[in-house]
Amino acid sequence: MSAQPDREAMLDSVALYALGVLPREEAALIAAFIANDDGARREYVELRGAADALAHSADEPVDSARSARMKERLMARVRADAAAAAARPRRSAERRPAPAYPAWLWGTGLAAAAAIVFAVVTVAQDLTLRGDLAAADRRVGTLQSRLAQNERAAAQDRQMLADLLSPDATHYQVAEGSVVVRGDRLYFALSKLPPLPKGHVYQAWTAVKASTKMAPGPTFVPNPGSVTVVPLRVDATRVGTVALSVEPEGGSKAPTTTPTFVRPLT
Amino acid sequence: MDPGVRLMERVRARDTSAFEALYDGYHRLVFGIGLRMLGDPSSAEDLTQNVFLKIWTAPETFRGGSFVAWVSRVARNRALDVLRSKSARPEIEIPADLPLEGALDDDVLANLDAQRVRDALSALPPEQRSLIEMGFFGGATHQELARRTDTPLGTVKTRIRSGLRRLRESLGERVTR
Repeated sequence: MSAQPDREAMLDSVALYALGVLPREEAALIAAFIANDDGARREYVELRGAADALAHSADEPVDSARSARMKERLMARVRADAAAAAARPRRSAERRPAPAYPAWLWGTGLAAAAAIVFAVVTVAQDLTLRGDLAAADRRVGTLQSRLAQNERAAAQDRQMLADLLSPDATHYQVAEGSVVVRGDRLYFALSKLPPLPKGHVYQAWTAVKASTKMAPGPTFVPNPGSVTVVPLRVDATRVGTVALSVEPEGGSKAPTTTPTFVRPLT
Repeated sequence: MDPGVRLMERVRARDTSAFEALYDGYHRLVFGIGLRMLGDPSSAEDLTQNVFLKIWTAPETFRGGSFVAWVSRVARNRALDVLRSKSARPEIEIPADLPLEGALDDDVLANLDAQRVRDALSALPPEQRSLIEMGFFGGATHQELARRTDTPLGTVKTRIRSGLRRLRESLGERVTR
Protein backbone atom coordinates (compact mmCIF):
# COMPACT_ATOMS: atom_id res chain seq x y z
CA MET A 1 0.00 0.00 0.00
CA SER A 2 1.32 3.49 -0.82
CA ALA A 3 2.11 6.11 1.77
CA GLN A 4 -0.82 8.36 0.79
CA PRO A 5 -3.66 5.98 1.78
CA ASP A 6 -1.80 5.33 5.05
CA ARG A 7 -1.71 9.00 5.73
CA GLU A 8 -5.39 9.43 4.87
CA ALA A 9 -6.29 6.62 7.28
CA MET A 10 -4.31 8.33 10.00
CA LEU A 11 -5.96 11.67 9.30
CA ASP A 12 -9.33 9.91 9.60
CA SER A 13 -8.18 8.85 13.05
CA VAL A 14 -7.26 12.46 13.83
CA ALA A 15 -10.94 13.30 13.24
CA LEU A 16 -11.96 10.56 15.71
CA TYR A 17 -9.50 11.97 18.21
CA ALA A 18 -10.91 15.49 17.77
CA LEU A 19 -14.42 14.15 18.35
CA GLY A 20 -13.23 12.26 21.43
CA VAL A 21 -14.34 8.77 20.41
CA LEU A 22 -11.00 6.97 20.53
CA PRO A 23 -10.18 4.55 23.34
CA ARG A 24 -7.30 5.72 25.52
CA GLU A 25 -4.63 3.51 23.95
CA GLU A 26 -5.34 4.55 20.38
CA ALA A 27 -5.77 8.18 21.43
CA ALA A 28 -2.24 8.21 22.84
CA LEU A 29 -0.86 7.09 19.47
CA ILE A 30 -2.80 9.75 17.60
CA ALA A 31 -1.80 12.46 20.05
CA ALA A 32 1.83 11.53 19.32
CA PHE A 33 1.13 11.68 15.59
CA ILE A 34 -0.45 15.13 15.93
CA ALA A 35 2.46 16.36 17.99
CA ASN A 36 4.96 15.28 15.33
CA ASP A 37 3.21 16.07 12.08
CA ASP A 38 2.31 19.59 10.94
CA GLY A 39 -0.40 18.42 8.54
CA ALA A 40 -2.06 16.33 11.25
CA ARG A 41 -1.88 19.27 13.59
CA ARG A 42 -3.63 21.55 11.09
CA GLU A 43 -6.30 18.93 10.50
CA TYR A 44 -6.80 18.53 14.23
CA VAL A 45 -7.14 22.27 14.85
CA GLU A 46 -9.79 22.56 12.13
CA LEU A 47 -11.83 19.53 13.14
CA ARG A 48 -11.51 20.21 16.84
CA GLY A 49 -13.31 23.51 16.18
CA ALA A 50 -16.25 21.65 14.69
CA ALA A 51 -16.24 19.12 17.55
CA ASP A 52 -16.16 21.89 20.16
CA ALA A 53 -19.06 23.61 18.43
CA LEU A 54 -21.16 20.44 18.70
CA ALA A 55 -21.64 20.96 22.43
CA HIS A 56 -23.61 24.13 21.69
CA SER A 57 -26.39 22.09 20.15
CA ALA A 58 -27.19 20.88 23.68
CA ASP A 59 -27.61 24.40 25.06
CA GLU A 60 -31.31 24.57 25.99
CA PRO A 61 -33.27 26.66 28.47
CA VAL A 62 -33.40 25.09 31.93
CA ASP A 63 -36.59 25.10 33.95
CA SER A 64 -36.33 28.24 36.10
CA ALA A 65 -37.18 26.50 39.40
CA ARG A 66 -34.50 23.87 38.80
CA SER A 67 -32.00 26.51 37.75
CA ALA A 68 -32.62 28.55 40.91
CA ARG A 69 -32.41 25.46 43.14
CA MET A 70 -29.09 24.40 41.65
CA LYS A 71 -27.71 27.90 41.98
CA GLU A 72 -28.79 28.23 45.59
CA ARG A 73 -27.10 24.97 46.59
CA LEU A 74 -23.96 25.79 44.71
CA MET A 75 -23.60 29.36 45.95
CA ALA A 76 -24.15 28.34 49.56
CA ARG A 77 -21.25 25.94 49.27
CA VAL A 78 -19.04 28.40 47.43
CA ARG A 79 -19.67 31.27 49.86
CA ALA A 80 -18.93 29.04 52.85
CA ASP A 81 -15.71 27.89 51.19
CA ALA A 82 -14.67 31.47 50.37
CA ALA A 83 -15.34 32.60 53.95
CA ALA A 84 -13.28 29.71 55.36
CA ALA A 85 -10.41 30.44 52.97
CA ALA A 86 -10.43 34.14 53.87
CA ALA A 87 -10.16 33.29 57.58
CA ARG A 88 -7.15 30.95 57.14
CA PRO A 89 -4.37 33.40 56.17
CA ARG A 90 -5.36 35.84 58.94
CA ARG A 91 -4.97 33.19 61.63
CA SER A 92 -1.71 32.02 60.14
CA ALA A 93 -0.29 35.56 60.10
CA GLU A 94 -1.26 36.04 63.72
CA ARG A 95 0.61 32.91 64.77
CA ARG A 96 3.86 33.57 62.93
CA PRO A 97 4.95 37.24 62.96
CA ALA A 98 7.68 37.97 60.42
CA PRO A 99 11.18 38.40 61.94
CA ALA A 100 12.42 42.01 61.94
CA TYR A 101 16.03 43.00 61.08
CA PRO A 102 17.54 46.51 61.33
CA ALA A 103 17.78 48.30 57.96
CA TRP A 104 21.59 48.81 58.15
CA LEU A 105 22.07 45.02 58.38
CA TRP A 106 20.21 44.49 55.08
CA GLY A 107 22.33 47.17 53.32
CA THR A 108 25.68 45.77 54.47
CA GLY A 109 24.74 42.20 53.68
CA LEU A 110 23.56 43.05 50.18
CA ALA A 111 26.75 45.00 49.35
CA ALA A 112 28.96 42.10 50.48
CA ALA A 113 26.94 39.59 48.49
CA ALA A 114 27.14 41.75 45.35
CA ALA A 115 30.96 42.03 45.65
CA ILE A 116 31.37 38.26 45.96
CA VAL A 117 29.09 37.60 42.99
CA PHE A 118 31.03 40.10 40.83
CA ALA A 119 34.41 38.52 41.66
CA VAL A 120 33.20 34.99 40.96
CA VAL A 121 31.60 35.98 37.66
CA THR A 122 34.76 37.76 36.38
CA VAL A 123 37.05 34.77 37.01
CA ALA A 124 34.53 32.32 35.63
CA GLN A 125 34.08 34.33 32.42
CA ASP A 126 37.81 34.32 31.71
CA LEU A 127 38.10 30.56 32.14
CA THR A 128 34.93 29.84 30.23
CA LEU A 129 35.71 31.88 27.11
CA ARG A 130 38.91 29.92 26.43
CA GLY A 131 37.11 26.63 26.31
CA ASP A 132 33.98 27.89 24.60
CA LEU A 133 35.08 27.57 20.99
CA ALA A 134 36.26 23.97 21.27
CA ALA A 135 33.20 23.02 23.29
CA ALA A 136 30.88 24.63 20.74
CA ASP A 137 32.50 22.62 17.94
CA ARG A 138 32.03 19.40 19.86
CA ARG A 139 28.44 20.35 20.63
CA VAL A 140 27.63 20.98 16.95
CA GLY A 141 29.01 17.54 16.06
CA THR A 142 26.99 15.88 18.79
CA LEU A 143 23.80 17.71 17.87
CA GLN A 144 24.16 16.81 14.19
CA SER A 145 24.53 13.16 15.03
CA ARG A 146 21.60 13.33 17.46
CA LEU A 147 19.46 15.03 14.81
CA ALA A 148 20.17 12.24 12.32
CA GLN A 149 19.26 9.65 14.96
CA ASN A 150 16.05 11.51 15.81
CA GLU A 151 15.06 11.72 12.15
CA ARG A 152 15.55 7.96 11.75
CA ALA A 153 13.57 7.30 14.93
CA ALA A 154 10.78 9.64 13.80
CA ALA A 155 10.55 7.86 10.43
CA GLN A 156 10.29 4.51 12.23
CA ASP A 157 7.63 5.89 14.59
CA ARG A 158 5.59 7.19 11.66
CA GLN A 159 5.78 3.81 9.95
CA MET A 160 4.77 2.10 13.18
CA LEU A 161 1.80 4.41 13.74
CA ALA A 162 0.68 3.94 10.15
CA ASP A 163 0.85 0.15 10.59
CA LEU A 164 -0.98 0.09 13.91
CA LEU A 165 -3.82 2.32 12.76
CA SER A 166 -4.18 1.01 9.25
CA PRO A 167 -7.57 -0.56 8.44
CA ASP A 168 -5.74 -3.36 6.62
CA ALA A 169 -3.66 -4.32 9.67
CA THR A 170 -4.66 -7.59 11.34
CA HIS A 171 -5.08 -7.46 15.12
CA TYR A 172 -4.75 -10.74 17.02
CA GLN A 173 -6.18 -10.19 20.49
CA VAL A 174 -4.41 -11.42 23.60
CA ALA A 175 -5.46 -10.72 27.19
CA GLU A 176 -2.71 -8.13 27.54
CA GLY A 177 -3.44 -6.20 24.33
CA SER A 178 -2.93 -7.24 20.75
CA VAL A 179 -0.45 -8.58 18.23
CA VAL A 180 -0.57 -6.50 15.07
CA VAL A 181 0.53 -7.67 11.65
CA ARG A 182 0.65 -5.53 8.60
CA GLY A 183 2.41 -6.79 5.52
CA ASP A 184 5.72 -8.20 6.66
CA ARG A 185 5.79 -6.15 9.86
CA LEU A 186 4.84 -7.44 13.28
CA TYR A 187 4.21 -5.57 16.55
CA PHE A 188 3.10 -6.23 20.09
CA ALA A 189 0.79 -3.43 21.39
CA LEU A 190 0.32 -4.26 25.05
CA SER A 191 -1.30 -2.27 27.83
CA LYS A 192 -2.23 -4.78 30.50
CA LEU A 193 1.02 -6.45 31.39
CA PRO A 194 1.54 -7.39 35.04
CA PRO A 195 4.46 -5.65 36.78
CA LEU A 196 7.81 -7.42 36.39
CA PRO A 197 9.71 -8.98 39.27
CA LYS A 198 12.95 -7.14 40.07
CA GLY A 199 15.80 -7.98 37.68
CA HIS A 200 13.48 -9.30 34.97
CA VAL A 201 12.24 -8.17 31.58
CA TYR A 202 9.61 -9.28 29.12
CA GLN A 203 10.93 -11.09 26.03
CA ALA A 204 9.13 -11.64 22.74
CA TRP A 205 9.40 -14.95 20.86
CA THR A 206 8.51 -16.04 17.36
CA ALA A 207 8.19 -19.43 15.67
CA VAL A 208 8.12 -19.83 11.92
CA LYS A 209 5.09 -21.50 10.36
CA ALA A 210 4.88 -25.27 10.96
CA SER A 211 7.58 -25.10 13.62
CA THR A 212 7.42 -25.12 17.41
CA LYS A 213 10.93 -23.85 17.91
CA MET A 214 10.84 -20.39 19.43
CA ALA A 215 13.40 -17.83 18.30
CA PRO A 216 14.31 -15.09 20.79
CA GLY A 217 13.01 -11.59 20.09
CA PRO A 218 13.53 -8.23 21.76
CA THR A 219 13.35 -7.71 25.51
CA PHE A 220 11.53 -4.76 27.03
CA VAL A 221 10.13 -3.23 30.19
CA PRO A 222 6.55 -1.95 29.74
CA ASN A 223 5.57 1.68 30.31
CA PRO A 224 3.22 1.68 33.28
CA GLY A 225 -0.17 3.18 32.53
CA SER A 226 0.26 3.40 28.77
CA VAL A 227 0.56 1.28 25.67
CA THR A 228 3.88 -0.43 25.07
CA VAL A 229 4.49 -0.99 21.37
CA VAL A 230 7.27 -3.43 20.51
CA PRO A 231 8.30 -3.88 16.87
CA LEU A 232 9.59 -7.40 16.22
CA ARG A 233 12.27 -7.31 13.55
CA VAL A 234 11.17 -10.42 11.69
CA ASP A 235 9.47 -11.19 8.39
CA ALA A 236 5.87 -11.43 9.64
CA THR A 237 4.77 -13.40 6.58
CA ARG A 238 6.90 -16.34 7.78
CA VAL A 239 5.81 -16.27 11.43
CA GLY A 240 3.24 -18.81 12.59
CA THR A 241 3.20 -18.20 16.35
CA VAL A 242 4.32 -15.49 18.73
CA ALA A 243 4.79 -15.63 22.48
CA LEU A 244 5.84 -13.51 25.41
CA SER A 245 7.56 -14.55 28.61
CA VAL A 246 9.26 -13.07 31.65
CA GLU A 247 13.02 -13.57 31.51
CA PRO A 248 16.07 -12.47 33.49
CA GLU A 249 17.54 -9.10 32.43
CA GLY A 250 19.52 -9.49 29.22
CA GLY A 251 17.04 -12.05 27.86
CA SER A 252 17.31 -15.78 27.25
CA LYS A 253 18.04 -18.05 24.30
CA ALA A 254 14.90 -20.07 25.01
CA PRO A 255 11.91 -19.33 27.27
CA THR A 256 12.69 -20.12 30.89
CA THR A 257 9.25 -19.35 32.35
CA THR A 258 5.68 -20.23 31.46
CA PRO A 259 4.80 -17.80 28.67
CA THR A 260 2.53 -14.86 29.49
CA PHE A 261 0.82 -15.70 26.20
CA VAL A 262 1.29 -17.87 23.15
CA ARG A 263 -0.66 -16.68 20.11
CA PRO A 264 -0.89 -18.51 16.81
CA LEU A 265 -1.29 -15.99 13.99
CA THR A 266 -4.36 -17.57 12.48
CA MET B 1 -12.43 37.90 24.64
CA ASP B 2 -14.64 35.00 25.71
CA PRO B 3 -16.43 36.46 28.79
CA GLY B 4 -15.84 33.15 30.56
CA VAL B 5 -12.09 33.73 30.39
CA ARG B 6 -12.34 37.07 32.14
CA LEU B 7 -14.63 35.63 34.78
CA MET B 8 -12.25 32.73 35.38
CA GLU B 9 -9.46 35.19 36.15
CA ARG B 10 -11.62 36.59 38.93
CA VAL B 11 -12.71 33.15 40.11
CA ARG B 12 -9.03 32.30 40.58
CA ALA B 13 -8.89 35.28 42.95
CA ARG B 14 -11.84 33.69 44.84
CA ASP B 15 -14.40 36.22 43.64
CA THR B 16 -17.79 34.66 44.38
CA SER B 17 -19.72 37.21 42.30
CA ALA B 18 -17.62 36.24 39.25
CA PHE B 19 -18.42 32.60 39.94
CA GLU B 20 -22.11 33.44 40.14
CA ALA B 21 -21.92 35.22 36.79
CA LEU B 22 -20.12 32.21 35.34
CA TYR B 23 -22.90 29.94 36.55
CA ASP B 24 -25.57 32.24 35.12
CA GLY B 25 -23.83 32.31 31.76
CA TYR B 26 -22.95 28.65 31.30
CA HIS B 27 -25.18 26.41 33.43
CA ARG B 28 -27.64 25.92 30.57
CA LEU B 29 -24.90 24.52 28.37
CA VAL B 30 -23.54 22.21 31.08
CA PHE B 31 -27.01 21.02 32.08
CA GLY B 32 -27.92 20.50 28.41
CA ILE B 33 -24.84 18.33 27.78
CA GLY B 34 -25.68 16.31 30.90
CA LEU B 35 -29.27 15.86 29.79
CA ARG B 36 -28.34 14.80 26.26
CA MET B 37 -25.75 12.31 27.50
CA LEU B 38 -27.37 10.94 30.65
CA GLY B 39 -30.98 11.20 29.60
CA ASP B 40 -32.60 12.34 32.83
CA PRO B 41 -32.86 15.77 34.49
CA SER B 42 -31.79 14.75 37.99
CA SER B 43 -28.55 13.17 36.71
CA ALA B 44 -27.97 16.30 34.61
CA GLU B 45 -28.51 18.41 37.73
CA ASP B 46 -25.92 16.40 39.70
CA LEU B 47 -23.51 16.72 36.82
CA THR B 48 -24.00 20.49 36.67
CA GLN B 49 -23.27 20.76 40.39
CA ASN B 50 -20.14 18.65 40.01
CA VAL B 51 -18.81 20.62 37.08
CA PHE B 52 -19.29 24.01 38.70
CA LEU B 53 -17.85 22.83 42.00
CA LYS B 54 -14.78 21.66 40.11
CA ILE B 55 -14.53 25.11 38.52
CA TRP B 56 -14.60 26.70 41.96
CA THR B 57 -12.28 24.27 43.73
CA ALA B 58 -9.74 23.81 40.92
CA PRO B 59 -9.89 26.89 38.66
CA GLU B 60 -6.24 26.36 37.71
CA THR B 61 -7.28 23.39 35.57
CA PHE B 62 -8.50 25.93 33.02
CA ARG B 63 -5.29 26.93 31.32
CA GLY B 64 -6.61 29.50 28.87
CA GLY B 65 -8.11 29.20 25.41
CA SER B 66 -11.82 28.97 24.90
CA PHE B 67 -13.70 28.73 28.18
CA VAL B 68 -16.85 27.50 26.54
CA ALA B 69 -14.99 24.67 24.79
CA TRP B 70 -13.22 23.78 28.01
CA VAL B 71 -16.33 23.70 30.16
CA SER B 72 -18.10 21.60 27.52
CA ARG B 73 -15.27 19.08 27.62
CA VAL B 74 -15.32 18.97 31.41
CA ALA B 75 -19.08 18.34 31.32
CA ARG B 76 -18.74 15.64 28.67
CA ASN B 77 -15.91 13.99 30.59
CA ARG B 78 -18.01 13.85 33.75
CA ALA B 79 -20.97 12.46 31.85
CA LEU B 80 -18.74 9.78 30.31
CA ASP B 81 -17.55 8.86 33.82
CA VAL B 82 -21.18 8.39 34.85
CA LEU B 83 -21.97 6.32 31.77
CA ARG B 84 -18.87 4.21 32.34
CA SER B 85 -19.80 3.56 35.95
CA LYS B 86 -23.15 2.21 34.76
CA SER B 87 -21.73 -0.21 32.20
CA ALA B 88 -18.44 -1.77 31.17
CA ARG B 89 -17.53 0.83 28.59
CA PRO B 90 -14.00 1.33 27.33
CA GLU B 91 -12.26 4.42 28.58
CA ILE B 92 -12.50 7.16 25.98
CA GLU B 93 -9.83 9.80 25.77
CA ILE B 94 -11.10 13.32 25.31
CA PRO B 95 -8.38 15.44 23.77
CA ALA B 96 -6.59 17.57 26.28
CA ASP B 97 -6.10 21.28 25.83
CA LEU B 98 -3.06 21.01 23.61
CA PRO B 99 -1.12 24.27 23.45
CA LEU B 100 -2.01 24.95 19.82
CA GLU B 101 -0.56 27.88 17.97
CA GLY B 102 -3.54 27.70 15.64
CA ALA B 103 -5.98 27.70 18.52
CA LEU B 104 -9.60 28.41 17.89
CA ASP B 105 -10.86 31.92 18.09
CA ASP B 106 -12.35 32.17 21.58
CA ASP B 107 -14.91 34.82 20.62
CA VAL B 108 -16.14 32.67 17.79
CA LEU B 109 -16.92 29.69 20.00
CA ALA B 110 -18.30 31.89 22.74
CA ASN B 111 -20.76 33.51 20.36
CA LEU B 112 -22.04 30.43 18.57
CA ASP B 113 -25.71 29.97 19.17
CA ALA B 114 -27.36 26.62 19.69
CA GLN B 115 -29.85 26.95 16.86
CA ARG B 116 -27.16 27.66 14.31
CA VAL B 117 -25.21 24.56 15.34
CA ARG B 118 -28.40 22.46 15.29
CA ASP B 119 -29.17 23.75 11.79
CA ALA B 120 -25.65 22.90 10.63
CA LEU B 121 -25.99 19.41 12.11
CA SER B 122 -29.37 18.90 10.43
CA ALA B 123 -27.84 19.79 7.09
CA LEU B 124 -25.39 16.85 7.32
CA PRO B 125 -26.21 13.61 5.53
CA PRO B 126 -28.04 11.42 8.10
CA GLU B 127 -25.34 8.73 8.10
CA GLN B 128 -22.70 11.32 9.06
CA ARG B 129 -24.88 13.17 11.56
CA SER B 130 -25.95 10.06 13.46
CA LEU B 131 -22.35 8.81 13.84
CA ILE B 132 -21.15 12.19 15.05
CA GLU B 133 -24.00 12.60 17.54
CA MET B 134 -23.77 9.03 18.80
CA GLY B 135 -20.05 9.45 19.27
CA PHE B 136 -20.15 12.86 20.90
CA PHE B 137 -23.25 12.58 23.07
CA GLY B 138 -23.55 8.81 23.34
CA GLY B 139 -19.99 8.24 24.50
CA ALA B 140 -19.45 5.43 21.98
CA THR B 141 -16.03 4.54 20.63
CA HIS B 142 -15.53 4.22 16.88
CA GLN B 143 -15.56 0.43 17.20
CA GLU B 144 -18.88 0.54 19.04
CA LEU B 145 -20.26 2.88 16.39
CA ALA B 146 -19.22 0.41 13.69
CA ARG B 147 -20.90 -2.45 15.55
CA ARG B 148 -24.09 -0.57 16.37
CA THR B 149 -24.60 0.76 12.87
CA ASP B 150 -23.30 -2.37 11.18
CA THR B 151 -20.87 -0.26 9.19
CA PRO B 152 -17.24 -1.11 8.36
CA LEU B 153 -14.78 0.63 10.66
CA GLY B 154 -13.03 2.41 7.80
CA THR B 155 -16.38 3.83 6.63
CA VAL B 156 -17.19 5.05 10.14
CA LYS B 157 -13.88 6.89 10.29
CA THR B 158 -14.30 8.48 6.87
CA ARG B 159 -17.89 9.53 7.58
CA ILE B 160 -16.96 11.17 10.86
CA ARG B 161 -14.10 13.05 9.27
CA SER B 162 -16.23 14.18 6.33
CA GLY B 163 -19.06 15.15 8.67
CA LEU B 164 -16.82 17.25 10.89
CA ARG B 165 -15.35 18.92 7.82
CA ARG B 166 -18.79 19.76 6.49
CA LEU B 167 -19.88 21.01 9.88
CA ARG B 168 -16.89 23.30 10.03
CA GLU B 169 -17.57 24.58 6.52
CA SER B 170 -21.23 25.05 7.31
CA LEU B 171 -20.48 27.03 10.46
CA GLY B 172 -18.00 28.89 8.31
CA GLU B 173 -15.63 31.34 9.85
CA ARG B 174 -17.38 30.92 13.18
CA VAL B 175 -15.15 27.98 14.03
CA THR B 176 -11.97 28.97 12.23
CA ARG B 177 -9.45 31.61 13.06
